[in-house]
Amino acid sequence: MIGKEFIGRESESVVLKIRLEEVRRFAEAIGIPFDGEVPVTYVGTLLQGNIPGFELTTPGMIHGEQKISYERSLSVGDSLTYKRCIKDVYERTSKLGKIRFVVLETSGYDLAGELVFSSSSTLITPVKGATN
Amino acid sequence: MKSLCNYQITERLPIREWVPNNVQIRQYAEASGDFNPIHLDDNYARQVGLGGMIAHGMLTMAQMAAMLSEWIRKEGRIIKLDVRFVQVVRQGDKITFGGSIRARSENIIVCDIEATNDKEEIVLGGVAHIMQK
Repeated sequence: MIGKEFIGRESESVVLKIRLEEVRRFAEAIGIPFDGEVPVTYVGTLLQGNIPGFELTTPGMIHGEQKISYERSLSVGDSLTYKRCIKDVYERTSKLGKIRFVVLETSGYDLAGELVFSSSSTLITPVKGATN
Repeated sequence: MKSLCNYQITERLPIREWVPNNVQIRQYAEASGDFNPIHLDDNYARQVGLGGMIAHGMLTMAQMAAMLSEWIRKEGRIIKLDVRFVQVVRQGDKITFGGSIRARSENIIVCDIEATNDKEEIVLGGVAHIMQK
């Protein structure tokens, strides 16, 4: 079970090239005409980069919030490096019992090291054995 | 078609409708690499208390981005998109995406955005920042 001790853990850097076929396939899957532009939420597919001890598909985990910001637009053919990091872990008590929030941030940089995008996912998971 | 620069504060954005189906949800899993079984395995999704399979939040968010992109066309680009997933979305739900202009400066438009299901429940809410070209 992920806890506060995970805060600050980060993945290795992942090197990536934005490939035409992958972006086209993504656009088709979301049901939009592909016009050569990279859809805003494409960065949500950047799931490589293992964070030691962290498993994304914990049973019952759902997606609570997502924030995506661009410093500049992303284009097919761009080369990037990105890294994932656990920014926060906290708990709240709801009507359904205790739930845990995990904030996972992904930052993408161009080859000059300039930030291109940042993406923050808040994941929500029930706390096993917790009572209300 | 009305130009982006003619939209005023409080004005509504054009809406987009979307009805997800399991074929699209599977296609999205394959294109995104998110194979979490809550999206693909009905029994598993029931066992973990979700009452059945749900669509990826990121697929719903992508539909919101599509609504915004259709609206702004080539006149601008989305520089920030922040959303909360308020309710689950399932196959067959009729989802309506909309929004309104909250604020604008010389080249940035801030929009409140929202998606509702056919029971008029909010499934997604948030804010988008558009930079005009």
